[in-house]
Amino acid sequence: MLDHGRRFLTPLLLVLGLLTIAPAAVTAAPTAASRQPLSMWFWGAPPDHQMTMKRVLVDGFNASQDTYALQVEFRNSVDSDIQVALAANQGPDIVYGSGPAFVAPYAASSKLVSMDAYSQKYGWKDRILDPIYQSGTVGGKLYALPNSLNTLGIFYNKAVLRKYGSDVPKTIEDLEATMDKVKADGLYPSVTGNKGWRPVNENYASIFLTHMAGPQTVYGALTGKVPWTSPEIQAAVEKSADWYQKGYLGGSDYVNLNFADSMQLLADGKSPFFIGPTLAFQFATDFFNKDKGNVDDLGYTSFPTIGTGLASPLYTLGTTASLSINANSSNQDGAAQVIDYMMSQMFLENMTATWPGYWGVPLKSIDIDPSKYEGLSREYVIAISDMIKGVNGGNFGYFTATFFPPATQQEFINIDTVWEGTSSASDFLTRVDQTFKVELEKNMVPPIPAPKL
Amino acid sequence: MSITTELGRTGHQPPIAALYNRHIAPRARGARLKYYILVAPALLLSLSVVLVPAVLTAVAAFTDWNGVAASASWIGLDNFSSIFADGVFWTALANNIRWMVLFLTIPMAIGLGAAMLLLRRPRSRTGYQLIFLIPYVLAAITNALVWLNIMYSPIAGLVGFLRKQGINAPAPLANLQTALYAVAAVDMWHFWGFLTVVYLASLRQTPVDHIEAAHIEGASGMQLFRYVYFPSIRPTLQLMFVMITIFSFLSYDYVKLLTGGGPAHSTEVLSTYAYTFAFSTFQFGKAAAVGLIMSLFGLLPAILYTWLSRRDLQA
Repeated sequence: MLDHGRRFLTPLLLVLGLLTIAPAAVTAAPTAASRQPLSMWFWGAPPDHQMTMKRVLVDGFNASQDTYALQVEFRNSVDSDIQVALAANQGPDIVYGSGPAFVAPYAASSKLVSMDAYSQKYGWKDRILDPIYQSGTVGGKLYALPNSLNTLGIFYNKAVLRKYGSDVPKTIEDLEATMDKVKADGLYPSVTGNKGWRPVNENYASIFLTHMAGPQTVYGALTGKVPWTSPEIQAAVEKSADWYQKGYLGGSDYVNLNFADSMQLLADGKSPFFIGPTLAFQFATDFFNKDKGNVDDLGYTSFPTIGTGLASPLYTLGTTASLSINANSSNQDGAAQVIDYMMSQMFLENMTATWPGYWGVPLKSIDIDPSKYEGLSREYVIAISDMIKGVNGGNFGYFTATFFPPATQQEFINIDTVWEGTSSASDFLTRVDQTFKVELEKNMVPPIPAPKL
Repeated sequence: MSITTELGRTGHQPPIAALYNRHIAPRARGARLKYYILVAPALLLSLSVVLVPAVLTAVAAFTDWNGVAASASWIGLDNFSSIFADGVFWTALANNIRWMVLFLTIPMAIGLGAAMLLLRRPRSRTGYQLIFLIPYVLAAITNALVWLNIMYSPIAGLVGFLRKQGINAPAPLANLQTALYAVAAVDMWHFWGFLTVVYLASLRQTPVDHIEAAHIEGASGMQLFRYVYFPSIRPTLQLMFVMITIFSFLSYDYVKLLTGGGPAHSTEVLSTYAYTFAFSTFQFGKAAAVGLIMSLFGLLPAILYTWLSRRDLQA
């Protein structure tokens, strides 16, 4: 009898306990439940950058209105997480992606919402740089807006250049001469590398495509009018291999350096140059800053045009990421409001003040006084302002990660087969051409803005 | 002599068999049913988590699915013919085979050697095992970052230190000929401690009287190992042989973390090759096809192991 009673006593106590806790759990729900939740997944940014984002985007947006509560999750594997989530019709409200080529398959599969109505409501078409706006469209409808401009240029250490009596390079000959000079003295000609992230190769494919093959040739290739095996493109690929083999890209340590290592070496005076994307400003802040007393040692200039017949200066047009709206979001209006909040000069200024490099919002016109900024933020603002002028003038080429369809982009990541001598430039480009043709037939090429012709 | 069964038929059955069939067999069948019911939840979970995705992957391998769209078209063997025509696939396969040969020799030998030495350290072997297991229990990202940024780094760490001493130390990951071995070295360093612990546990199961008898007979160290220890641990060696072969065709994390398959595909393996198709080029069908090929290479040693185990049981 006693055993029989005991058998039921424990489950009874458990049920009573749950009944006691449950109402408390329900009433413990936060008052933020009165706001509709909005979610965004972002890449795994360093802690201080996460704090900037929380302060400027999350707290700033939440304070600007009463309807929505934005939350941002930082994930190292955000690209593959997004792919899996969208395939399952789930995922965040605001979809952070890698760019137009990333967006196209999702738009075609109805995983993203067309933002034409929001564009009309908020006036994005008049606000955003035309080539950038166009790159976010699929079949004429807007599906993505890039969060920031990104271009390729030369970061230089003014102290090292002074030591070697060299000026800031304006031509490719100046650049190569300075690199040869410092190489003879045991320095790295330039520092860079793809340690931990092989897609860094895209920067050096893109830079030679823009500054040597030229925007018109690459535009022709991307629109299927010019083969990828054209002599201009082949010459550009061979030049990149020549640079790699001469050690102009990270010496013999290209695979052992990443951007943070490179910025450290640049700050330590081990090289005069870091040639790479403007998003590298975000890595530079750790090594060029007021505490170290070297914040004014870092300069930035555009990469020189190679050969005659091409405009100068030219800008490789790229973006750091894209923002879209999940078709399965229950708060699409709210997601659009967040994107609009991020497409403003105010957002550019507030983010760039502490996180330069990643938030050059692609506005048609910005009215920023660089003297309002300090250190690297000032250099970045100047770089972006110059780029906007160049892009408005049609003097731009194409970053492979932004404008190339996925498999063709992947082929250009494999450009190191030419650099290492396991493939000729001709065979490499034959493979690129074959891959591109298949993607062109499947309509996987994003809209390509036309440069000045 | 015949007996009459309950059914009134006579049959030439031994009495014990009749008793078994009448009284014990039904209970045995009932007991088996109970066991099946008890195993069913775990089996169903396994089937749903493993079998269902496996079947879907096998089907996807014959389609042009991009990993996102709700539908895909059947394209037969096109994915396979495209993969077999790609030189990068054969490079990756060759790298997996090299990986298998490396892991079947170096860590097996080091692990077995260390286990034999620890046999003679009854008091201190636990401490040694703990130390040897540390790389195994650390996350792959931790191990990879240690080697990438401390050992192989030309700025800091061993390579950088040697260069500062004036020794022109090469960076192993930068060389096409050494990159794969440099990556494999990190994974072997992570893995051999586990083998040591497994082999030591198996060696300690060797019957003591066999060892004593061998000592009395005057067996040398090599003879003791060959004629006493080795036959005793043979099943464990077989199992580890098969597991390492399977894992060699699934290797991914250290390659991805250290080189991403580069430079110039020199460290490309089937898993990184498949990952690129799945998550970079929106060609999930091709990724599934590579996955099927990897599974085939994993299945062959599993079949071999099952055959060897059955043969041993029959013997």
